[in-house]
Amino acid sequence: MFRSFIIASIFAFSAVFCETCTKPEVTSTSFTTQDATIVTNIAYIADFTLKCSNGQVPPLYAEVNGNIVPVSVVGPNQYQISWTEDIKTARSGDKLVRVLDEDGFAAARKALRSGEDLSGVSSIADVVINYPGAYNGPWLKSELLATLVSLVVAYFAISFKLKVTA
Amino acid sequence: MSKSQNKGFTKEEELLLQDFSRNVSTKSSALFYGNALIVSAVPIWLFWRIHLIDIYSSLVLFVVVTSIATYLLALAYKNTKFTLKHKIAVKREEAVTRDLSKKLSEDKKMSKKEKDERILWKKNEVADFEATTLSIFYNNALFLTIVIISSFYLLPSFTPPVNYTVSIGATAGLLALLSTGSQ
Repeated sequence: MFRSFIIASIFAFSAVFCETCTKPEVTSTSFTTQDATIVTNIAYIADFTLKCSNGQVPPLYAEVNGNIVPVSVVGPNQYQISWTEDIKTARSGDKLVRVLDEDGFAAARKALRSGEDLSGVSSIADVVINYPGAYNGPWLKSELLATLVSLVVAYFAISFKLKVTA
Repeated sequence: MSKSQNKGFTKEEELLLQDFSRNVSTKSSALFYGNALIVSAVPIWLFWRIHLIDIYSSLVLFVVVTSIATYLLALAYKNTKFTLKHKIAVKREEAVTRDLSKKLSEDKKMSKKEKDERILWKKNEVADFEATTLSIFYNNALFLTIVIISSFYLLPSFTPPVNYTVSIGATAGLLALLSTGSQ
């Protein structure tokens, strides 16, 4: 009884003093792979700065496509999220990255464990990465085009010769 | 043809024989070899820039294969021209005769024999020109098409020098062989 009381007090204490971000302001820049001709995966990188009005920034996590990815600290108030997707499954458009604090992370873990949807988990900020699509090489390969053109010319040459010799 | 027989021909007959022989004039031969050299050298660019053969280390290969291909292509031009020339001459005979007769009809002084000779000469010239151009066009078109198809689709698994040698050599050889047919 006494032991559980101590544990509960520790939790209550940590909850009171846990860093929470109030009025978060996010500015972000992003990069996605542009040329997919020689790579197998599309990389997504989002750099963002997070400012909280109370100056307290909790440890951050992020949720992308139903997965939780770590957020790296790359400088003061600067964070980075990156992940890769297979070229075939990568779809162009906006990707929503939901930035979670520890509470959100715990809630997301819980939701994932129980197989629930993550949309119920509240995020402290959202970052949008726009993936305009990557260059996968020309639709018509140049050797095919060269072959087709030369076949047309050869067709004319043969038909002309047949016309003369007939 | 022995010399004693050769003496028996008149100058006109010799000219006529030359016109319809398989031998081509020096001018025509230069045209054929020049053209064949250009066309057989063009694939070097393809193998250098696209198939990435190092041009300096494979210089000997390029020179040897290009020379062989030039010879074979010139042979193909010559043979194709020979077969085409007769057929074109027959086809154009009527038109050339009609055209030239109209022009020469005003000239009353000219004998019938000379008129006939002129018609024959003109017919030969027209047929020669058409056969030369068609032969070059036909062989070039086939050569480049077969080279592109074989280098990209038939032999891509071989190393580029092998691909180059086989593509160019086999194509030029095939064209030379096909040109020996009578059709």
